[in-house]
Amino acid sequence: MKPDTEVVHAANALTSWTNGVSAEIEDLSRNVASLLERNLVGKPKVDKAALAGLDKLSREFLAKNTFAVGAGTFFAHASVEEGGRTLDWWSRKGSGSVGRLDFDLTPGSNRYYDYEKLPFFSTAASTGEQTLWGPYIDYLGFEEYILTFTAPFSVHGTFTGVAGCDIRIKDLEPLIMPHLRGIPGDAALVNASNRVILGNSGMYLVGERIKSGSPEQHRMALDVPHLGLSLIYTSTRHTS
Amino acid sequence: MASPTPFESQIYRSLPEIERADAIVDRISTAISLGLLKVGERLPPEAALSEMFGVGGATLREALGELRERGIVETRRGRSGGSFVVKQPQSQTDAIRDWFLSTSISEIRDLGDEHSAIAATTIRLACERAEAHDFERLQELARALVLARTPEVRASADSRFHIELAVSAQSPRLANAEIRLQEESVQQLWAPLGVPLDPETATAEHLELVRAVAQDQPERAQKLALEHIRRNIFHLIDTKLTLGYSQSIQEPNEARH
Repeated sequence: MKPDTEVVHAANALTSWTNGVSAEIEDLSRNVASLLERNLVGKPKVDKAALAGLDKLSREFLAKNTFAVGAGTFFAHASVEEGGRTLDWWSRKGSGSVGRLDFDLTPGSNRYYDYEKLPFFSTAASTGEQTLWGPYIDYLGFEEYILTFTAPFSVHGTFTGVAGCDIRIKDLEPLIMPHLRGIPGDAALVNASNRVILGNSGMYLVGERIKSGSPEQHRMALDVPHLGLSLIYTSTRHTS
Repeated sequence: MASPTPFESQIYRSLPEIERADAIVDRISTAISLGLLKVGERLPPEAALSEMFGVGGATLREALGELRERGIVETRRGRSGGSFVVKQPQSQTDAIRDWFLSTSISEIRDLGDEHSAIAATTIRLACERAEAHDFERLQELARALVLARTPEVRASADSRFHIELAVSAQSPRLANAEIRLQEESVQQLWAPLGVPLDPETATAEHLELVRAVAQDQPERAQKLALEHIRRNIFHLIDTKLTLGYSQSIQEPNEARH
């Protein structure tokens, strides 16, 4: 079946929105990498001096990209000198100002935030490509219901960490719902693990997994590299 | 000090000082809306109210003053005096509209998730613990919904049914959780915004629930309770979509973020 014009329009809009975010993340990670290469001047491990100016990149990112609630860099522990700061993450506070987010990074502690095991880090590290993780509750991290976009970066040819941003699900909804609402039937943006990011009716609720597709359920992959996003749609709209 | 995470903020949130009078006003207004306090009913004496709310006399008098100003209570002097409930709080359509606009679909879904968890156990316990007089009472409360003529009265009849169902399960904690969940969502459910909910359908579902409880069919009762909540959550989401996203974008090829 050939998809309706509305579905194509919505898919194009979502693709273009997501590619816009991806381009910003690509820029951020490239800027982080070049700043580190300049600051490190040949030193093998990231130390305090190497981080100079890193906060400015996150702040600028957040000032420009109002859709994001947080942005920054997570380093691979192996690329940081003993006892050094392994992450630099900034997020919006209730007051509208931007502040540094602190995590418990003591292995074995009750609230240890083991970010290297989280998919936004591990997938980017293992594939060497941009990745999108969520919707998820970032327990012990930002502790909200969010999406995280990250891109890996290398310094002098060695994988060093990931740079990226968080988007609150609550903030994402008004940005992309108008596109989904343009589709007359039930439709949802789903992630690579078939989890709904946002649906246009009660039929597809954020966070739910799309199980075995019914015959009238169609899928269109979005032309967004590496993120595995698709648009799921049916020809009729659910009514409660 | 590191800035607190949202979970920490919840644990260490400041205890309200100035807003205590407002909290009393809200508490009493909500109780009236839900039908827990009726028009004509006398509130306990001031000294007893201060003690129960754990506030000083001045704070309590401030709250009663506000309730009088809103025309919700009236204070009469003399031997048969006291503070009386004289009318329902105003229809809160604007406040409810704001709730729909500021609450995201993920938050509405989450409210349903919590409600499902509470309701599933409550109804199972009701099957084990409720007795004959509970069934009759619940049937009566279920029918009150279809007889109600305004959204406010429907909201109050609907929540009353669910709270009493939780009461019949004999768990004060579950009943309190049900009261909190009802306070959070029942007025939104019946608000005259978007497509109205059908009181006959809701009443039929309530009666089905009572029948399943009366016949001690926990599996069936739980299934019905979960379907009932799911339908309500769909209704809230539909209303949210109607109010918040009624216009669709015709020219979506614009990359804005």
